[in-house]
Amino acid sequence: MKRNSRAFLACAYWAFVVYLFVPLMLMVMMGFKDSKFIGFPIRSWTLEWYLGVFRDTEVLSVFGYSLLIAILSTVLSLAIGTWIAAFLNSYRTFPGRMLVFGLTLLPAVVPGIISAISLRIYARVLGIEPGLWAIVWSHAVHNVPFVVLVVIARLSTLPPSQTEAARDLGADPLIAFIRVTVPYLRPALIGAGIFCLLLSFDDFVRSFFLGGYDPTLPVLIFTRLHSGMSPEINAIATVALVLTAIVGIWAERSMRRMRKEQNA
Amino acid sequence: MMGDAAVSRGDRVPFWGRTVSLPFYKGLVTFLFGSPRRQFWLLASFSIIWVLFAHLGPILQMLHVSFLDGYPPTAGREPVMTLANYERFFSESIFILPFFRTLAFASLLTAATLVITYPVAYFLARHVRRQRQLALLLLLLIPFWVGEIVRTYAIMILLGNNGAVNLLLRWLGLVDRPIPFMYTGFSLSIGIIYLTALYMLLPLYSALEKLPASYSEAAADLGAGGWTRFRRITLPLTREGIASGCTLVFLISSGYYATPVLLGGPATTVFAETVARFFHVAGDEWPTGAAFSCLMLLTALAIAGAFNRLVSPRRVGAGG
Repeated sequence: MKRNSRAFLACAYWAFVVYLFVPLMLMVMMGFKDSKFIGFPIRSWTLEWYLGVFRDTEVLSVFGYSLLIAILSTVLSLAIGTWIAAFLNSYRTFPGRMLVFGLTLLPAVVPGIISAISLRIYARVLGIEPGLWAIVWSHAVHNVPFVVLVVIARLSTLPPSQTEAARDLGADPLIAFIRVTVPYLRPALIGAGIFCLLLSFDDFVRSFFLGGYDPTLPVLIFTRLHSGMSPEINAIATVALVLTAIVGIWAERSMRRMRKEQNA
Repeated sequence: MMGDAAVSRGDRVPFWGRTVSLPFYKGLVTFLFGSPRRQFWLLASFSIIWVLFAHLGPILQMLHVSFLDGYPPTAGREPVMTLANYERFFSESIFILPFFRTLAFASLLTAATLVITYPVAYFLARHVRRQRQLALLLLLLIPFWVGEIVRTYAIMILLGNNGAVNLLLRWLGLVDRPIPFMYTGFSLSIGIIYLTALYMLLPLYSALEKLPASYSEAAADLGAGGWTRFRRITLPLTREGIASGCTLVFLISSGYYATPVLLGGPATTVFAETVARFFHVAGDEWPTGAAFSCLMLLTALAIAGAFNRLVSPRRVGAGG
């Protein structure tokens, strides 16, 4: 009985792995097909589509644009998120704390399309033109809750005696924060930062509604899909996939290191 | 700053020492951190302003615009407050239908995701040695890092008429002509479960991992069978994880826009597509779109909150 249920559960796990990986593998494979038409079977293979990605100046500039947006919004959300986390962590008895905490997490529970639309209306009110800064702003708003959650988890394990020791040795609060708290937060900031980079780089709905004439990478893939599937799109998507997967694995490892340090 | 510190290492006074002795810096620090109350306001003011202005502001502004009769404003004409945008929703079935379709769809998909991922999470938490758990979990996280559009596209290739599934079915001799999977509720479900499964899996895994195996063993000693143990011990004690997983998946899957556009068809139009049309095709109908968005946000949060209350009574609110 017990052995049967274990076998069943193992099958469920591996079936799930197949479900997650096979579509992506097929997509990578299709980028090697020597034909304009997407579909099986693949009779002859070519590298042409992948080489084309690196020759297509539009695609390359869109890669750069998406990367720029990801970096800017990540820096912004790390700074803002750390600030809010420091506040929520230091004043645990502040009466409005739960309200501030709830509002901090709000962007994480608003469904994507509604978040994009409300930010689009708001950008109009603030006079932010659709484009680079509108996208950066919307990504920062969306990412702040995740930064706060990660940073606060790390901050709560910092013994107060450490910053107090720095203060006793003559450091003012700012120096104590920069030289004691920030180094302690480093793994959390790296982990949250990479998470933000990925969220921003992969985001479609906010970039779509707040973007100007220049598309980000997901928006470019979306618009090209409207004129039909082609192995060229597979190659672009695969390059994006490889980039994000590498960064994601790196993030996972740095988060795990942080957890290990916390347990030690 | 770190770079400067490294450069100045050769000097007599280190970088931080020089910075601290600057009169401007001294003044600034005394001004900002002079008293505990000032420290509090420094941290509190920005945090509170940011969450009110950037997190709550867009939602409130959307609510405001939803009551206006015209937006963006035209020159020389003051917008008037009206309920017409909400009335419009209740008057036409092309709006009501996608609305309820989205809610029903998101609920069904949430349930399906729960059923699919629970055995996976259970296997990881209970039947795998601790060392291997992280490796097997990491394996599942890799596809999660790939974006929404790329994964949607992967599903299109899987299910197309010339896709892998149809090829396999024809090769097995089960069908003569391809089954049109694409642009149906089926392809949309496969796609959305593909995107959201990990938001369910992670809370379930962490709930199951925290649950000591001794509880089930105690029940077994008392004579409970496998199914009873699961129903009476494991399931109730992991309901926190179930609640947060379901809340997340419900809210996320009701908010997808690109995936229904790419994988769905005319019969599966979801409310996100209805709402988006007011912003892209018909540019001057923002208030109607805002009103519809408000209705959807309110309903989605209410359902998620009620579900949370029902499943884990101790927790308050819809926070996932």
